[in-house]
Amino acid sequence: MPNKPMLKDLMKTHGVSRRAFMKYCASLASVMALSPAMVPRIAEALENAPRTSVIWLSFQECTGCTEAITRSHAPTIEDMIFNAISLDYHHTLQAASGHAAEEAREHAMKEHWGEYLVVVDGSIPIKDPGYSTIAGISNLDMLKDTAAGAAAIVSVGTCAAYGGVGHADPNPTGAVAVSEIIKDKPIINVPGCPPIPVVMTGVLAHFLSLGIPELDELGRPKAFFGNAIHDRCYRRPFYDKGLFANGFDDEGAKEGWCLYKLGCKGPTTKAACATVKWNNGVSFPIEAGHPCLGCTEPDFWDNGGFYKPLSVPSGDYRRLGLAAVAGGAAAGVAGGLLAKATKAKAAKAHETVDAHDLEKSS
Amino acid sequence: MTATLERGLNALREQIDAPVASFFSSCVSCGLCAEACLFYRATEDPKYIPIRKVELMRRIWSREFTLLGRIAGMFGLVKNVTDQDLSDWETLVYDSCTMCGRCTLVCPVGNDITMMIRKMREGMSAAGHAPVELIGAAQRHTDGNSPMGDLSKAIQAQVKNAINETGIEIEFDKPGVDYMAILSAQEIAEFPDVLAAMARIFKKAGLTWTIASDAFEATNVGIQLGSRDVARKLVQRVVDAAERLGVKGVISPECGHAYQALRWEGPNLIGRAYNFEVIHIVELLDKLRAEGRLKTKGKNSQRVTFHDPCQINRRGGINKEPRRLLNMFSEDFVETDDAGTFNWCCGGGGGVGANERAEPLRHQAFKMKKVQLDKVEPDVVVTMCAYCHHTLDNVFEEFDMEQEIVGLTELVAEYLDDDDAGSGEKA
Repeated sequence: MPNKPMLKDLMKTHGVSRRAFMKYCASLASVMALSPAMVPRIAEALENAPRTSVIWLSFQECTGCTEAITRSHAPTIEDMIFNAISLDYHHTLQAASGHAAEEAREHAMKEHWGEYLVVVDGSIPIKDPGYSTIAGISNLDMLKDTAAGAAAIVSVGTCAAYGGVGHADPNPTGAVAVSEIIKDKPIINVPGCPPIPVVMTGVLAHFLSLGIPELDELGRPKAFFGNAIHDRCYRRPFYDKGLFANGFDDEGAKEGWCLYKLGCKGPTTKAACATVKWNNGVSFPIEAGHPCLGCTEPDFWDNGGFYKPLSVPSGDYRRLGLAAVAGGAAAGVAGGLLAKATKAKAAKAHETVDAHDLEKSS
Repeated sequence: MTATLERGLNALREQIDAPVASFFSSCVSCGLCAEACLFYRATEDPKYIPIRKVELMRRIWSREFTLLGRIAGMFGLVKNVTDQDLSDWETLVYDSCTMCGRCTLVCPVGNDITMMIRKMREGMSAAGHAPVELIGAAQRHTDGNSPMGDLSKAIQAQVKNAINETGIEIEFDKPGVDYMAILSAQEIAEFPDVLAAMARIFKKAGLTWTIASDAFEATNVGIQLGSRDVARKLVQRVVDAAERLGVKGVISPECGHAYQALRWEGPNLIGRAYNFEVIHIVELLDKLRAEGRLKTKGKNSQRVTFHDPCQINRRGGINKEPRRLLNMFSEDFVETDDAGTFNWCCGGGGGVGANERAEPLRHQAFKMKKVQLDKVEPDVVVTMCAYCHHTLDNVFEEFDMEQEIVGLTELVAEYLDDDDAGSGEKA
C-alpha cells in the first residue's frame, strides 16, 4: 500500500540516526542470542518493512504484562511503537475509549486483514462468556473475530499462553489459553507472570524482522526458553556442592546458598531470568533470595506449593492419588473375592489325604 | 481314592492364601535367596534357586487368583500346570530343600519361601509325587506307632535298659506328672542313651515325667511329606495322650521337625490351642539351670563346637540356651562361622535324609558345613537334633572326618552333679 510509510522514512522523520538504529538491531540480536552476522539482516528487514499493525487484546488479566512491557529497556516499547509497529488497539494504553476504541480495532482489522499481529494477554473464560466482556463483546467472540484476519498471534503472559491463574484449580470461570480456542493460526507463547519485558519486545522484534522464531514443544521461542533457570543460575555451584538454605533466615540463606529445599522450581523451569534478568539486568527472584516459582511453566499454580521442594510429589496428586486408591481398592476387593472363591472351591473339593493313597494308581 | 493331578492342583489352590499372594507379588527377583541356599551354593546350579522351586505354585496363583493372569491364561500366555511339570519339580521340592529357612531369613521383602515349599509339598504329595521313602514312613506311622514301624517293644526295652543303668524308675502312662516326654524314632533306635540322661537330670531337678505307651513318637512325617491331613493325625495322638494324662507340659525331644510339628504347626493343624505347654528339652534344661536345679561338675577340656539344628534354632528360636548349657562345663568351646541363626544345614533335614536318590546331592551340600567345621577343627560336635546327629554321622564317615558327635542332653548328663543327693530332690 503506497500510503504506508516505510520504517526508514519514519526514522528520518523522528530524527533517529543510522547509528542509533544499528545499535537497536544489535541489542535485539544479542538478547535473542543470535549471531552478530544477523544484525545487518535484522536492520535490512526492519528498514524495508512497513510498520506492522498490532492489535493487543486484554482478557482475564491483571495488567501486569502491560505494566511490565512498558518498562522494557531495550528495545523499549516506545522504540517499538515509533520504529517498528503501529499499535492500533490496546485499551490500557490508547487514548480513545468506548465506541471510538472499538472502531479503531475494527478499522485496523479491515485495513490490514491477513497481515496484522494479534497480541493477547489474559485467559479466556468459556464457562460463561459473561464473566469477561469488553464493550459488550465477550472475550471469546472478540478473540475469534480478531484472530480470523491475523497473520499470527502472540500470547504474552502465562494466562494467555497456558491459562495461568484463572485456569488454576478450581478454575471457576472455565478459563483457557488462546491455543485452546484458535487452532488455525501460528501462535507464539511468551509465558511468565509477567514475562521478562525484553523477552516480550524481543519476540515482537524477531517476528517483525525474521518471522516466527523457532518454538519448543510448549510453543515458546527457544531463544528465550531454551535453558532451565537451574542450568544458568549463579547459585548452581552451591547445589552441586550440596549447600542449601533450609530457611529464609538461616546461615545458608545468608550465605546465598541454593534455594532448592525452599521450593525453588529452577530445575524444571525454562526461562531467561538467570541470564537476561529483570529491571535493566539488575536482578532476578533467586538473586533477591526467593525461590523460583516456575511461572513460565503450565499450571505452575497447582504444582503442589511454592515452598515445597521439587523432590516432594507435586501436581494433581491428591485427586489422582484418591482415584488410584479407590481404583486399587475396588480392584483389590474384586481380586480378593475372585481369589476367595477359588480357594473356597478348592477347600470344598478337598479329599482327606491318607498315607495309603499317596501313590498313583497306575 | 488315589493320588491324582487334580487332587494335587486342588491342594495347591487350598494352600494359596493372602501371605502367599503377597509373597508372589512382592518378589523382586533379586536373587538373594540363591546365595542363602545350601544346594545352590554347593552346586551353583540356577535350578536350585529357592524361589524357583515354588514356580508351579506361582503359576497357579497367577493363572487362577489374579485378574491379569486369568486374562493371560485365556490367551494361553500362562501355561497350565501338568503332571509332567509336577514330575519335573519333584526333585527340586523334595531333594534339594531341607526347609532350613535360610532363604526366608535373607529375603529383603520378607517372603517366607520355606513356608511356600511346605505348601508346595501339599500339592506334590496329593498328586502322588512324594518320594517313596516318605510315603512308606507315613504309612508305617499312621498304621503303627512310628515311621520306622512298630517301636513299642523297642521303647519298652530301652526304658528297661535305662532303669537298669541308672537305678531310677521311669513309669509309662503315669497321670498327673509334670511332663510327658516324647522321643524321636532316631533316638529310640540309634541314640537311646538320652533316656538315661533325662532320667538322671530330671531326678536331680525334682521333676516328674512319664512316657505314653501309645504316643511316644515325636517325629511327624506329615510335615516333611507335606500333608496336613497326615500331620494332623499324628499331632492329635500326642495331644490326646498329653491331655488324657493331664500333664503340665510335653517335652519335645532333640529332633528338629518334631519341634516344628508340635510347637508351631500343631495348634493350627488341630484348630485349637493346647491345654499344656510344649517345651524343647534344651529349653527345659536351660530353665532348670537358671532356677539352680541343674548343676554340673567337672570340665570338658576337649575342643567343642555346636551345630545348630535349623528347625530348633533358626525356625524355632532356641539359640542362647544350648550355649549357656555348654559353657557350664566346656573349657574350649568354639563357634563356627555363621553359628546361630545363620548356621548352614547338615543337609539331612526336611525329609532329604530319608530320600535315597538325594544322597549324592546331600553329600555335595554338606560341603558348606564342612568348610566351617574344618576351620575350627573341633574334637566334638555337639547338637540338639537326633536327625542332625544321624546325618552328621553318615557324612563324617563319607568324608573320613574323625570328630565325635554328641547330643547335648547326653553331654549335660555326663557332667551332671548328682553326688549330693539332698538338694532339689523330692524323694
